[in-house]
Amino acid sequence: MASGDEYDPTPSEDELEAHLQTRNMVINLGPSHPATHGTVRLRIELDGETIVSMDPEIGFLHRGFQKSCENVTWTQVLPYTDRLDYVAALANNFGYLTAVETLMGVQIPERADYIRVIGAELHRLASHLTTAGALALELGGFTAFLYALEARDLLTDRVTELTGARLTTSFGRIGGVNRDLPPGWVEKLTKTLNKVEELAAEVDALLTRNRIFTDRTRGTGVITKEDALDFGFTGPCLRACGVDYDVRKAKPYWAYSKLTFNTPTGNNGDNFDRYYLRVLEIKESLSMVRQCLVQMQPGPVMIDDWRITLPPKEDVYGSIEGVIAHFKLVMEGVPVPVGEVYHSTESPNGELGWYLRSDGTGRPYKCHVRAPGFQILAGLKRMCEGRMLADLIPTFDTINMIGGEVEQ
Amino acid sequence: MSDEKKVEAAPPKPPPPAGPPAPPPPKNPGMITFTVDGKEVIAAPGTNMVEAAKQVGVEIPYYCYHPRLTIAANCRMCLVESSGAPPGKLVPACQTAIGEGVAIKTDTQKVKDQQRSVMEFLLLNHPVDCSICDQAGECKLQDYYMRYDFKPSQLEGGKILRNKRKVLGDLVVLDQERCVLCTRCVRFMEEVAQAPQLGVFGRGSHEVIDVAPHFGKLESNYTGNIVDICPVGALLNRDFRFRARAWFLSAAPSVCTGCSRGCSTFTDFMGQDVYRYRPRENEAINKSWMCDEGRLSYKQINQNRVLHSVLGRGAEAKEAHPGEAVKYAAMKLKPLAGGVAVMASPVASNEDLLAGLAFARDVLKAKEIYVSGRPQGKADFFLMTADKNPNRKGLEWIAKAYGLAIKPFGDLTAALDAGSVKALFAIGADVPEADETFAKRTERLELFVVQATNATKVTAAANVVLATTSHVEDEGTFTQEAGITQRVRRAFPPKGAAQPSWKWAVDLALELGNEIKAMSSRDIFRSMSAAVPELKDFAWDKLAPMNQTRPGISTMAAGADGRPPGWREQGVPNMHGLSKPQET
Repeated sequence: MASGDEYDPTPSEDELEAHLQTRNMVINLGPSHPATHGTVRLRIELDGETIVSMDPEIGFLHRGFQKSCENVTWTQVLPYTDRLDYVAALANNFGYLTAVETLMGVQIPERADYIRVIGAELHRLASHLTTAGALALELGGFTAFLYALEARDLLTDRVTELTGARLTTSFGRIGGVNRDLPPGWVEKLTKTLNKVEELAAEVDALLTRNRIFTDRTRGTGVITKEDALDFGFTGPCLRACGVDYDVRKAKPYWAYSKLTFNTPTGNNGDNFDRYYLRVLEIKESLSMVRQCLVQMQPGPVMIDDWRITLPPKEDVYGSIEGVIAHFKLVMEGVPVPVGEVYHSTESPNGELGWYLRSDGTGRPYKCHVRAPGFQILAGLKRMCEGRMLADLIPTFDTINMIGGEVEQ
Repeated sequence: MSDEKKVEAAPPKPPPPAGPPAPPPPKNPGMITFTVDGKEVIAAPGTNMVEAAKQVGVEIPYYCYHPRLTIAANCRMCLVESSGAPPGKLVPACQTAIGEGVAIKTDTQKVKDQQRSVMEFLLLNHPVDCSICDQAGECKLQDYYMRYDFKPSQLEGGKILRNKRKVLGDLVVLDQERCVLCTRCVRFMEEVAQAPQLGVFGRGSHEVIDVAPHFGKLESNYTGNIVDICPVGALLNRDFRFRARAWFLSAAPSVCTGCSRGCSTFTDFMGQDVYRYRPRENEAINKSWMCDEGRLSYKQINQNRVLHSVLGRGAEAKEAHPGEAVKYAAMKLKPLAGGVAVMASPVASNEDLLAGLAFARDVLKAKEIYVSGRPQGKADFFLMTADKNPNRKGLEWIAKAYGLAIKPFGDLTAALDAGSVKALFAIGADVPEADETFAKRTERLELFVVQATNATKVTAAANVVLATTSHVEDEGTFTQEAGITQRVRRAFPPKGAAQPSWKWAVDLALELGNEIKAMSSRDIFRSMSAAVPELKDFAWDKLAPMNQTRPGISTMAAGADGRPPGWREQGVPNMHGLSKPQET
């Protein structure tokens, strides 16, 4: 044997290393995945368990909302707005109607203002409970989810009694709300609020000081105040970063200026702050609804102008004036004067803004909606990149992305 | 002191008594300059305020005023404030001529109160009928109520009852309860129809419109127009009544093909059916009117149509799709080229004739054409002409330009009877004699190819019937008796398997080895009208009236169901075709 060709059994250094694949893995989360609440696809590039990059891809739930609105009368837009943030349909309904009323320069009756606050806050409660509960659920805490959903279901029952629908409320009309509170509803609601308060406290007790929960949520999904402002965050996600911006305080509408309430803020902009902020807002909303029930006085809930609101049925059937007004309002729509408006309200997820434009006919010329979830979903990339894959789902929960409003 | 003052305060010389100040010279000589709601308007002397205000976009409401009728000023809806009026008085804008320097105000509280009061009185005894009224959706009471009244009724007790279905004539029925007594119909019958048969009868709240007793019923060829000009649902067309809701109809600008007058019309249609014609304003031809006979001529578009081409005669006859029909007709025509007589109908459009006669000359080697068409009828004093063919002028122009000799129909019948014609190619199945008679004459023909829209005895006698569209199923032009060429717009796609006449000519020419390069009637006109001196300067595209307007309700890009006008027919919205409906 030639000496130079001899086999050397001593292993070299690099032979001892395991040459693993070092290529990043790309995975899809969604569009149909139990942990993505909307139908959204997240294209995630992973290095091990660390997210290298992430790209939310929306459009699976796109319905052509804005274009559809141009083809129907101002009133017929209402059912479309139910389907934006479907967890809080009343907030969309009333937000849209208030924008139209602002464009028309119409002042609705005081009682209608209070009913709108009650409806919007009930659905804020429902939305926040869902967010908190679902966050617990996806971190393995099924119990808290059940408590939260029990409370939401009670609220849904009250909303059903008020509007006639569990989910797609289509409540309110241009010029007020289409019907007053049902008889005995206030008493039922008072009891419901007490029960919801108990259940919310239960959720709070189960989660807020739970070691596993706080370990998973504190310091994850962090976004800085500056980034949040740059992305255009509003609502709980912005307030969790320490920015005290709430449309209800900044530009009070309906009866909010007559109510006493706080807008809690966080410090860290992480998942825990976004969760805990909602727990605090639940308490504020309960207080607000109770204040409304005390403050509101009997009175009309719709303005009395046959150019805007439908005449009473006996006038429609019994007088030519009524039947003409009814015919014209139904067939041509409420004539909104020429002009444009941007008006926003605080929906559970943030600033719900409406840019409406009228050419003087019964149909919108342009109807653009600034849904709060869109900007927040855009910031999800910043909150997740460089972090662990396991923290993506809680983060996705606390931003409370709703496909209906993001994808319109 | 008082003395002193007296001395000092010697009365100054009184000024000479002031007469009325001399009117300032007109700002624009020859014209009147005045203001409407602060906007300056310059108009010809004698213009009334309603028309003058329209110039600056100010709409003054009215019921009784009509630009083509005398002024009655009885509805009181158009009262406005004028600086030229006695203090505290309003003036009727329709009746008052404008004056130099006068300021008119149409939106003051006083005017608004007046408008609301008028509306309240008009609606006081108006029945609750919108849901069953044909006029709903195109009713001035509805429009003005929402704009100028919008308040509940203050009526206590019942409404005055009148005759709800008074048949006035063959075409018109009157609901006296709905009438606002504007007397437009009375004035129209007297001034335009020259048949003063209508009048106002009764007094006060019991006034009604009716036919004067010694006439019994309306006897005129122009009664349909009173339905059009009726601002409310009082006068209704008996032919259209209860057949369609106005907001479901789409309207295509077209012309009436009932006679050679060629009145401009709107064709109101839904799906592939025409529901009514309405006159379209055309100062040169029909003003705002049309005759009853023409108005009802829409029916031939709906009824008794040849929807599929038919090959073979009698028992052998079978329906065929267009491709098959072209092959069959070409096979039959080919050996006979040069020996085929060509009969062209002046009912066909210019595009049909441009293509059809080119085919006759170049492929069938025809030297002359026989003119068929509908038989002559009666003319009247106003619009209706004796020649019932809408496009005789166009046919003559095109045949002359193509160098084809025009032979009267009589020559053809003589030749048929003599047996000297072996084959006949007919553009259009209308003949100026009884259909049976002509069908009998064609029995001995070896080949009889006819392009037909409606099934008649003539089509039953043909070897080949090529299903052809009506004039509302394709774009085109017609030239009326005075030589005015008008564009018609397509309302809906061809019914059944019908094709436009020009398309049959193009297909047959291609099959017989002589290509006419055209995909549309527009192509036909652009490529072939250059040969016709009278037609070559006609701006086919530019002179097309806006298509797909909606007769009632809103002129916006959507109907009752949120879809644009014409979506049922076109599939694709025609967003460029929106225009205002005709002023009535």
